[in-house]
Amino acid sequence: MEAPRFAKLTLVTLLAATVYAGPAAGQAESIKIGVLTLRSGPMSPIGDDIIAGIETATRMQGPLLGKPVELIVEESQWNAQLAVTKATKLVQQNKVAAILGTSTVEALALVAVADRLRVPIVTSNSGGAALTRQNCSKWVFRTNAEDLMSAAALKQVLAEKPKLGSAKWFTLGHDYPYSRLVAKTVQGVTGGNYVGEAFAPLDTTDWSPFIARVRSAGATAIMMSITLGTPLLQFVQQANEFGLTKEAQLVAPIGLPDWLVAKLGPLSTNIISTGSWAAWRYEEKNPATKQFNEVFYKQHGRVAGMQSLQSASATMMVYRAIEKAGSTDPQAVVRALETIQVATPVGPLKFQPGGRQAMVPLFLGPYEELKIPRYGARYAQLVEIAFPASKSLPPTGSDAGCKLK
Amino acid sequence: MDINFLLANTLNGVVYGAFLLLTSLGLSLVFGLGRVVNFAHGALYALGGYALIVVMQQSAGYWLALVLGPLLVVPLAIAIERAAIHPLRSRPEIYTLLVTFGITFMIIGALEYIWGTGTTLVEVPSPFAGTVTILGNPYPVYRLVAAGLSLLVSATVFAFIQFSAIGLQIRAVTDDAGMAEAIGVNTKWLLTAVFGAAAGLAAFAGALGAPIFAIHPDMGSGILIDSFLAVILGGLGNLPGTAVGALFVALTKSIGGGYVAEWSLAILFVVVAIALIFRPTGLFGRGRVA
Repeated sequence: MEAPRFAKLTLVTLLAATVYAGPAAGQAESIKIGVLTLRSGPMSPIGDDIIAGIETATRMQGPLLGKPVELIVEESQWNAQLAVTKATKLVQQNKVAAILGTSTVEALALVAVADRLRVPIVTSNSGGAALTRQNCSKWVFRTNAEDLMSAAALKQVLAEKPKLGSAKWFTLGHDYPYSRLVAKTVQGVTGGNYVGEAFAPLDTTDWSPFIARVRSAGATAIMMSITLGTPLLQFVQQANEFGLTKEAQLVAPIGLPDWLVAKLGPLSTNIISTGSWAAWRYEEKNPATKQFNEVFYKQHGRVAGMQSLQSASATMMVYRAIEKAGSTDPQAVVRALETIQVATPVGPLKFQPGGRQAMVPLFLGPYEELKIPRYGARYAQLVEIAFPASKSLPPTGSDAGCKLK
Repeated sequence: MDINFLLANTLNGVVYGAFLLLTSLGLSLVFGLGRVVNFAHGALYALGGYALIVVMQQSAGYWLALVLGPLLVVPLAIAIERAAIHPLRSRPEIYTLLVTFGITFMIIGALEYIWGTGTTLVEVPSPFAGTVTILGNPYPVYRLVAAGLSLLVSATVFAFIQFSAIGLQIRAVTDDAGMAEAIGVNTKWLLTAVFGAAAGLAAFAGALGAPIFAIHPDMGSGILIDSFLAVILGGLGNLPGTAVGALFVALTKSIGGGYVAEWSLAILFVVVAIALIFRPTGLFGRGRVA
């Protein structure tokens, strides 16, 4: 009787020990990275692209400090209050080492609570210049170009392209602050060639009154600060329907997401970008872009869109900073972010000295049909100019109005 | 701004008004007949767009799909009426309003589940893809064709209501449902049939407008607001009033959008509010306040 009892006891003890020690012995504890973005509604493809880019960059990275990386994705609905709630959850419950994703609304909301969250937040889809200028925070970095950089790029386009330089400019956008900022910029840059502007209600589906207004003003170049998604598709389709695209050049201030380009198809060839945040055809000049595009296509079966390229670049910056810091200690990671330079899909990236804005180029050029489709894409932006940050951004954060505490 | 600009926007308004009339008629009919404030009308409009896609995917051309697509929506609408609205007929109007509001979310959710949240562009059918010059400006032929078709279908509906035996029953129920029932009109059947027909009209509008406004799950919400404004302004349940309301809403949006884009929506709501202050039953209402 003694032997079976001993055997049973040993077995139970071993089982208990296995269960107790299982996770620690079986696999290393993961490094958790939070992703905050839009997951629902008609604009959700932007969120999908952001997540897909982060996933591919994570796959390319492999283990970080010898540990697997775990992504924890939270829906923000592009809502400031919800973003703060979800970011707090990511930090306090999930213990994330950094937060990625986020657009302007969420990023500006997180700046206000960044000192409380105390983790690096690297946004890749936020245009509002204030984020890395007067409202900058020690904890919040940005890899995509901000609005004032786009204005500088527009100046460059006008100088280099006589057809656009002598065009009569009209700003057509939705009635929200970003449109007015774009209009002010275009007016400032084009001077006497600025012939008008109109701001449509956000629920506009019939653009015919605005097309009539553009025509009446005699515009030959239209800066479209229209919400990316269904409204932009509707406008471009209706502009083509009215024959406006034969009279005027359509201009996208920050480029178009590639899922939108795919929807537009041949209509996209009426559009030129004066400052895309990223362009997958940069692979023709930058090997890191090509490498990323190939892995992305294998993983997701589609072309790497503008937001994917940007979010991947932000992710690579964070992973390299964690490697350099040798830990996920937030202070150490922030210090590392300030000094690293990383080869990313949008080019070699580093942050502005004394600031939080990445020295990222803007990609200028027209959308065109590809002779041979690549990564499933038939239409894409040609990168005519990769406009360097040295020409669009003050040399230091302090020069840009960023006073870090 | 010159007179040419004003005329261009007036034309835009008339074209949009013709289209809006098509969507407003169904709303007005259903309310007039059964006092049902049908918030699902916009979702049924969206279903029309998706039905068009489904039929076109079966290698049917645009015009065949334009006829068959909306017909697919009719039985679904009848099923919705029998299952969700019919049992609430004796309840106050707020019940059907809330139910149709809920149905809207269910339909949009189903569309998103099946087709995703993205937008589908539909090419303008080839014979009408170009422009004609009107008032010195190119104008899309398809918009004129769509407006013409909208007016034709609307005129057919008016004629049917005015001259057919069923139309007589519809008018009788709209005027006095109790009396109509007392003399043998089957009001329950009539509402079911009219609800289905109104859904067919909305779906037809969704399909007809697809090459202009594109197709996406939430495509009905904007047109629903404009349609409600047209119906309220014209007088709930009053078909000629609805026609005038649709034209007024469309012209205000179009001309307002041309001159004071930022204020066009506000102006529209203010005008409707003022009209309702002085004419609570709508401009052509006949003493009935919902």
